[in-house]
Amino acid sequence: MLAQLLAQVAAVVGVLLAISIGVFVGQSRLSTTRVEWRSRVRDAAPIAVVLVLVLLFNRTARETLPSLSWSIGWNLTSTFYEIEGQTVLLFQEYATPELTAYFSYVYVYGYVFVLIFPVVAYFALSDTRPLRELLTAYTLNYTLGLLCYVLVIAYGPRNWIPDLVETTMLYNQYPQYQELTGEVNHNTNVFPSLHTSLSATVAMFAYRTRDVYPKWVPVATLLAASVAVSTMYLAIHWAIDVTAGLCLGAISVVLSRRLVGRWSLSEEFDDWWPSLRRE
Amino acid sequence: MRTTLAYVMNWEPPDSNGGVSRRSLLAATAAGVTVSTSGCMDLVQGTIGQDNSGQLSLSITTVPADGDREGVQLARALAENLEAVGIDVSFDMRSPLEFHRAILLDHDFDLYVGRHPGGIDPDFLYDALHSAYATESGWQNPFGFARIGFDELLERQRSTDGDERREAVAELLRQLTREYPYPFVPICFPDEFRTVRPDRFEGWDARHLGTRLGYLGLEPRDDATELTVAGTDSRPSRNLNPLAAAYRGRGTIVDLLYDSLVTPAYGDDGGEYRLWLAEDLDWDDASVTVTLREDCRFHNGDALTAKDVAFTYQFLADTALGRADVPSPSPRYRGRAAAVTNVERHDERTLTLTTKAGRAASERALTVPILPRDVWWSQVEDATDQNQSISQGTWDVVTGDVPAIGSGPFELEDRSEGETVTLTRFEDHFTLREDDLPGPTVDRLRLTIDPGSLAAIETVQSGSADATMSSLETHALDQAREYENVELLESPSRSFYHVGFNVRHAPFSNPHFRRIVARLLDKARLVEDVFDGNATPTAVPVTDEWVPDDLAWNGEDPVAPFLGSDGELDVEAARTKFESAGYQYDSGGNLLARY
Amino acid sequence: MDRESTLENGGVSRRTLLAGAATGLTVATSGCVRQVRSVVNRDTVDHLSVSIATVPADGDRESVQIANLLADNLETVGIDASVNLLAEEEFLRAILVNHDFDLYVGRHPGGTDPDFLYETLHSVYADEPGWQNPFGFTSMTFDDLLERQRVLEGDRRRDVIERIADSVAAEQPFVPVCVPDENRLVREDRFDDWDDHLATRLGYLGLEPLDGDGELRGIITDVRPTQNLNPLSVEYRNRGTIVNFVYDSLGTVAGDEVRPWLASSWEWNGSAATVTIRDDVQWHDGEPLTAADVRFTYRLLEDTSLGDSDVPAPSPRYRGQSSIVDSNAIEVHDERTLTIPMTGSQNVRERAFTVPILPKHVWTERTGGATVPGLPVEQATTTAVVAENVPPIGSGPFQFVDRTGRESILLERFDEHFSRADDELPEATVERFRVAVHPGSPSAIEAIESGSADVTISTLEAYSVDEVTESESVRLLESSSQMFYHVGFNVRNAPFSNPYFRRVVARLLDKERIVDELFGGHASPVATPLAGEWVPDDLEWDGDDPSVPFFGADGQLDESAARTAFEEAGFRYDDDGKLLARY
Repeated sequence: MLAQLLAQVAAVVGVLLAISIGVFVGQSRLSTTRVEWRSRVRDAAPIAVVLVLVLLFNRTARETLPSLSWSIGWNLTSTFYEIEGQTVLLFQEYATPELTAYFSYVYVYGYVFVLIFPVVAYFALSDTRPLRELLTAYTLNYTLGLLCYVLVIAYGPRNWIPDLVETTMLYNQYPQYQELTGEVNHNTNVFPSLHTSLSATVAMFAYRTRDVYPKWVPVATLLAASVAVSTMYLAIHWAIDVTAGLCLGAISVVLSRRLVGRWSLSEEFDDWWPSLRRE
Repeated sequence: MRTTLAYVMNWEPPDSNGGVSRRSLLAATAAGVTVSTSGCMDLVQGTIGQDNSGQLSLSITTVPADGDREGVQLARALAENLEAVGIDVSFDMRSPLEFHRAILLDHDFDLYVGRHPGGIDPDFLYDALHSAYATESGWQNPFGFARIGFDELLERQRSTDGDERREAVAELLRQLTREYPYPFVPICFPDEFRTVRPDRFEGWDARHLGTRLGYLGLEPRDDATELTVAGTDSRPSRNLNPLAAAYRGRGTIVDLLYDSLVTPAYGDDGGEYRLWLAEDLDWDDASVTVTLREDCRFHNGDALTAKDVAFTYQFLADTALGRADVPSPSPRYRGRAAAVTNVERHDERTLTLTTKAGRAASERALTVPILPRDVWWSQVEDATDQNQSISQGTWDVVTGDVPAIGSGPFELEDRSEGETVTLTRFEDHFTLREDDLPGPTVDRLRLTIDPGSLAAIETVQSGSADATMSSLETHALDQAREYENVELLESPSRSFYHVGFNVRHAPFSNPHFRRIVARLLDKARLVEDVFDGNATPTAVPVTDEWVPDDLAWNGEDPVAPFLGSDGELDVEAARTKFESAGYQYDSGGNLLARY
Repeated sequence: MDRESTLENGGVSRRTLLAGAATGLTVATSGCVRQVRSVVNRDTVDHLSVSIATVPADGDRESVQIANLLADNLETVGIDASVNLLAEEEFLRAILVNHDFDLYVGRHPGGTDPDFLYETLHSVYADEPGWQNPFGFTSMTFDDLLERQRVLEGDRRRDVIERIADSVAAEQPFVPVCVPDENRLVREDRFDDWDDHLATRLGYLGLEPLDGDGELRGIITDVRPTQNLNPLSVEYRNRGTIVNFVYDSLGTVAGDEVRPWLASSWEWNGSAATVTIRDDVQWHDGEPLTAADVRFTYRLLEDTSLGDSDVPAPSPRYRGQSSIVDSNAIEVHDERTLTIPMTGSQNVRERAFTVPILPKHVWTERTGGATVPGLPVEQATTTAVVAENVPPIGSGPFQFVDRTGRESILLERFDEHFSRADDELPEATVERFRVAVHPGSPSAIEAIESGSADVTISTLEAYSVDEVTESESVRLLESSSQMFYHVGFNVRNAPFSNPYFRRVVARLLDKERIVDELFGGHASPVATPLAGEWVPDDLEWDGDDPSVPFFGADGQLDESAARTAFEEAGFRYDDDGKLLARY
């Protein structure tokens, strides 16, 4: 069933990507890319490698980290609940089956799309700096997020007040998605919301690259906002997680801007990867 | 570098109960424990998640030898045997005041060794064991004892009389001892000895010197006008609030300042209680109509009327006088006063008390000190005006040094802390008008404070005092016997030494544990060694006539016989007992605690 | 002892007093010093604040809901209550191993025979890890009654058990809330004959395959079996259904009785059983299973260090069973027969046959103390108790092949198993048994309905039962249940050491409403942990709890009645209506 689901996600996101590449990127950029891809890959490779390593680590640590968390972490679920109470229930008031469907799809497909598309879009630019910054920001998001996950144990609203969020709870409506997210994340990892932080990161990048991709800005913003809201609407995250996610996103963007170019990894890279340079 | 390494190698031992802290795990991780696979991590987690249990360690709260030499000896004997069976014992020595504060008011103790005031009537167990009092400050249930079905037994002995009551008391004691919910271990009733000088006053042996009557009706020789008594407890010189549980022992001085409706006449020939402030008692089924003596006054000149009596019972039930959301009962006299459910005033001198108790317990309820309404009312007002929070048993009104205005045979003249309390005769006292009542025969009664029994005896012997008010510690008895010009006077005893457990918390909440601890005490031997035989070992806290045959002392404790013989603890047997109760020992022979 | 809490509550500490003096508080006379002393020494009494441990809604939605309901009602009556969510194994570790809790809400494995109360409440177990007396309840009266029911039979035993039930109801060391219906979903188009209880090993044996595929696909909603397969681990086991596929026991529970399984028969000689093990039984690694393994198992359960540790380290699971057996007096006659001396009456004694028999050659090495470099470990923690035990070497009808953490376990048929040779016994009819982890009942239901699995091994959570669409091939199976939801108190410490306090807390639970609303009616409210015929008449559910009736009606808490009850028990409120932490 999982494979089936993954195929489904790949298909949907693939279609979305195809459309949006057509709409936002355009033919001319694609043709330059066809020419320059080697140097762009070379530029972006170091940080891409780091990102992949972080993702792999995240994947293998998935089993280990919860135990580590229980040993050293702070269990903050009740604290969160005391602070914000039933804020997330605000969204329950507006719940309709259509809205639930919308947010569920945004949470799963929209999120994947919003993460992948900018990588493609920035790869299509001659200036690789946005791409490198974006990948750096992704890496930072994951790294800092993982650190928070180790330090903080918190269960989301669906685990705390299941009765109150029953109608919109993602996994009630679409139990299959729980398997999918279970592949990526553990149920104690809700602080901060990486969905939010990564989407926010993308939206912030969209704003910074508004001159290049003006049309992408409103779409990215809308999607990012939807993703953030969906996490609360679907009772996966607390408002605090989303707030922290926004902060994490912002921090990552700011940091990535400062870090990229500070150490020119690509130059060192050149020495032992000359084959790419020739181009 | 080497020091750093040494630091890393030298693991701080974990706190005795603390398991592995976050810090040490982090440190371990930092020090290079490679946690490579999830499996290993689970093992780490599973292993260190197992709480690290250390040796059971407890503290015995007691007063230092200056205040109570026998108490300390008992505590030491107990500690020695506890150590022998692998329990780590520390002492928490406190002045009598701090001792009572910790135990009665703050409930901050593991176990303690001390003297319980006891009671002539077994109804004192009601105060000591009723579950509703487990949370209150005062001599009522300091142990935190709460057991289903037990309150009913306590109520039953309270509401019955005669043989039926005797049976109820016996049943109560059996229940208390059989399955050992017993929250304390009574050790012995020490004999009460005092020294008196017969050269200035006569009639010492007529009445019990632990009660107010003991100091009344003495016959002065040679026109002596001042009676001086030596005490070893300095608390009366610091505070004379009759309700302050931490400051009161027997409260003999306070009893001379305050009157009660009836007065205990233990050792007298007039039965258990005799009329005092009450001129007449008219007993009905569940009520008693009290007629007060005529023209009684408080020391400040105010008339003592039925209003004051009614106030007293109301006040004891709620010292906040309704100013707090919940009643704030007095830390002393609580259990007795609880027998009175309603007070109806008829006129200045008569009133009817409705009681939910039999005759015996109702009579006991009449022994509380009658307080002047106006004085205490303004105390409460002052305290609440100052926005003091009303905490039951510990707020100012019941612990502070309230002006000692009573109606008793003596009034307070002066006191100097730690040295003396001087009382003068209250000329308006009714005993001076009634011929058949013993009254104050001297102008002045002085209490001088000595640091211990030996010093007190010395004071009496040298002629600086006429009697010792506090009962003598037994180690001083030989000394007292040597002097020819002083007499040793023995009085019946009702107070007893005991070990009290704080049953609110493990392991003291475990009856098996308590019983084994009780069995570490060789009471007969302790009576010989510590009290030189001047005490009576006991298995139950009531006086002889109430002890059912099956619980009577028969050469050894019928309830919790000593584990060993001739004072020698059979350590193996005791350890086996602990083990079969589910406790564990490590190889060092330490009893382990895990909670 | 635990002075920390008093320090916390202690109002002004000595240090503060010193600081006060240092900042220029001039204390001129000794009288004044005492005044200060008596003011500062007074405890400022804090509000009572309790924490309710429970598991997150994934996998057991009802527990956290009960916990929230209880927390709300506690708050209403002036007690600060917080719910503490812990992952299942952390939860069990906190309450069963470390006894580190105030109250908890969870499921109790229960038991068909009331003898399970022996380990649940006997004071000798108050300090031991495991489902034995996690509450720390100690009472000589109870110990006596519990021991008596063990040796009595018939009506006399029934009388004693009735007294126990009444006393439990009076004391409330824990509050039994309800017995949930055990519902499982099975597909009948691939396998038939789902008649044995699906919480037992027999439920998965003797199935009739309807098509040629030799794979049985089960679903669990609990990740723990993929992480640890140690039958002695109390944190990772609920009922141990999965582990029981891999291990055999001398007898196996079938309905109300214990039927010979690994033993071909047992004969009673007084209270000792002479057990004959089936012919030619092997471990999954090919070693022969002998009477020595059986004796080893009982000795290991009694002390997992086998006497090596200073402190006996009894197994946290199967403690009640092992306490029936006098393991040191077991006599091995030959490879296949041994005599096991026991205590208790016969129905109690047969419980002892249900423990999994462990291979001596594997577990001997695990009797040492568990160590983790650089970390202090409690002495009585042996490797046997904390080992993951993967792969598990048993003798059971299925053997372990592989697992993927948090995802699945693959078992395959053990062809040498004795049930294959014996026609009378149900045998494994499938070649492979794949157990997949699903995150919750809805996804499990979907998997069954879509045909990608055959049976839910875990019970369905009550809220999801109504989502099931039964069809020709999908059937909802209801089985008898002995497990119950309960609220446990840590009676070691005040205020829970006070039974009157516990009774008032118990009366804050509207069990009837909990069953209706949280379980959608798929549970039965109970007033006693005993089940079925053992429930005394006066504790039968009659619309409300006969011993601790709910304060209020229709789910509406009668706040003032509850507050009055706390006050009658001697507890006090401050002016803000908060219950004071003064015991």
